[in-house]
Amino acid sequence: MSEPTLESHGAVPVIECLGVSAGYDGIRVLRHVSFRITEPAIYVVLGPNGAGKTTLMRTLSGILEPYEGTIRIDGETIDRSSGGGRVHYLSHVDGIPDGLRVREALNFYALVERAGPSDVERVLDLLEIRPLADRYVSQLSSGQRKRVSIARVFLRERAIYLLDEPTSNLDPKVASEIRTLVLNLSRERVVLYSSHNLYEAREIGRYVMTIRDGQLALFGRIEDLRSSHFVVGIRTLEPSDAMAGFPKQGEYYLKELPGPEAVPDLLRTLESQGVRIRELREMGNPLEELFADAPEVLART
Amino acid sequence: MNPGAAPSLLGVTVRRSLSTGRFFLGYGTAISVVLGVSLALSPGSAFASTFPFLLPIFVVVGSMGGMVVFTNDRIKGVLEYLLAYGYSPRRLFVTFLLTALALSAVVLSVAVAVGLGVYLIRGHPFTTQLATLLVVYAIPMSFSSPAFAATVGMLWTSLSSPRAGMNSPIGLIPFIGILPSLVTLFLLTTLAVAGVFSPTELLLVAVGVAGAVVLIVVALLGTLGRFLRRERLLSPA
Repeated sequence: MSEPTLESHGAVPVIECLGVSAGYDGIRVLRHVSFRITEPAIYVVLGPNGAGKTTLMRTLSGILEPYEGTIRIDGETIDRSSGGGRVHYLSHVDGIPDGLRVREALNFYALVERAGPSDVERVLDLLEIRPLADRYVSQLSSGQRKRVSIARVFLRERAIYLLDEPTSNLDPKVASEIRTLVLNLSRERVVLYSSHNLYEAREIGRYVMTIRDGQLALFGRIEDLRSSHFVVGIRTLEPSDAMAGFPKQGEYYLKELPGPEAVPDLLRTLESQGVRIRELREMGNPLEELFADAPEVLART
Repeated sequence: MNPGAAPSLLGVTVRRSLSTGRFFLGYGTAISVVLGVSLALSPGSAFASTFPFLLPIFVVVGSMGGMVVFTNDRIKGVLEYLLAYGYSPRRLFVTFLLTALALSAVVLSVAVAVGLGVYLIRGHPFTTQLATLLVVYAIPMSFSSPAFAATVGMLWTSLSSPRAGMNSPIGLIPFIGILPSLVTLFLLTTLAVAGVFSPTELLLVAVGVAGAVVLIVVALLGTLGRFLRRERLLSPA
């Protein structure tokens, strides 16, 4: 996929979420959520099912009105009619109108977005869905429908992108290409990106926001996260007696270390024992622990 | 934040409803045309005395495409998408209501043109009574009944969990949509039995029922924000 053309959009928006509670039919799903975003980046929103990730996205997009609290973008309070301005929202459901061909569906989005026919042609190429352009949406696979749904986000530029599970139902190749597009976007834009894929989150996110029971449990830089157990896996070129005492997971011998700084010493020790190392990698993902136990809040920006 | 009013979706919604609701449109149009032609070919004035009263019932059926698209859009998350881009629930309701009226106009115009055409070609006169029934009853009721059906149907769909089959808003709304026509016919029959039926009573009843239905629709749309939370338009998926 080609890289989206991004014109300079000026200053990065400042998003302030101040004590926001929101939900459905009077039942609070989000409770007293506060954060401030001042930097273009991908902010990965994590949390178990029902934690409130989608509710957060819907509230930030202006779909849901907060029961209490305020959301401001560049100091301006957003309300129910604000959504059409600066925020792109990609729902976890496709949102593709029935009974239309792919090109017609994109023209529908273009009408809503005030984009032109040339924008439709551009995103057909960008998302590599031109071969699908004349097919009815109902004839597409779920992954193809997802790509059509994502295409509308690129019809027009916005300052803020709220992407709710954008790579669900996509095959690994397409998911990787979508991540590349989103990474490119995040150089100049604020992207909130919810996902259940912790490895994807770690790969693309600079910040992580964890929602637990409707509350913001953590908001910090992903690189600042440390696993309580730092475990590395070691693959060797050939069997070695020196590795006999190590537990094994698949082809990897496991070794728990105090932290990444202990890796060089481990390598030297193993090499001195004649172990021929093919690969050494960190086995755990610190994001996994965010689901396991209530983490400490590392930072609030 | 909002750089301007969100663009009108009426044109594209009508086109989508013509496509998605083509079965309802075709059925409503066909059955009203068959009815009109059958009555026009019948001896006497059966067409003039019956056709205007039955026409609104079939127009309601033909206008169901808008309701089908609304329901599909809610389930598929299209309404959620539109809410995020600045469309209010009231604006969405009005768009689909106008769509239902546009579909009604299609059924009504085809049925009247064909039925009345055959009736006149057969040598029947275009009487004042027929003109009055068409203008005072058939045409107003052919718009107010679908408007009532569409508004109640959209509210019902929004306030209930999606379900399929006849026991769903789409399955039941045609029966609700013909209520204004049934009320009118009931009142007219009651007046006829009481021996007080005259063109004046016909005018009062027809205009009264159509006006009441329009008032109900306007009141429902006007107070939409009070009893329909925005989240009721979100996809339940």
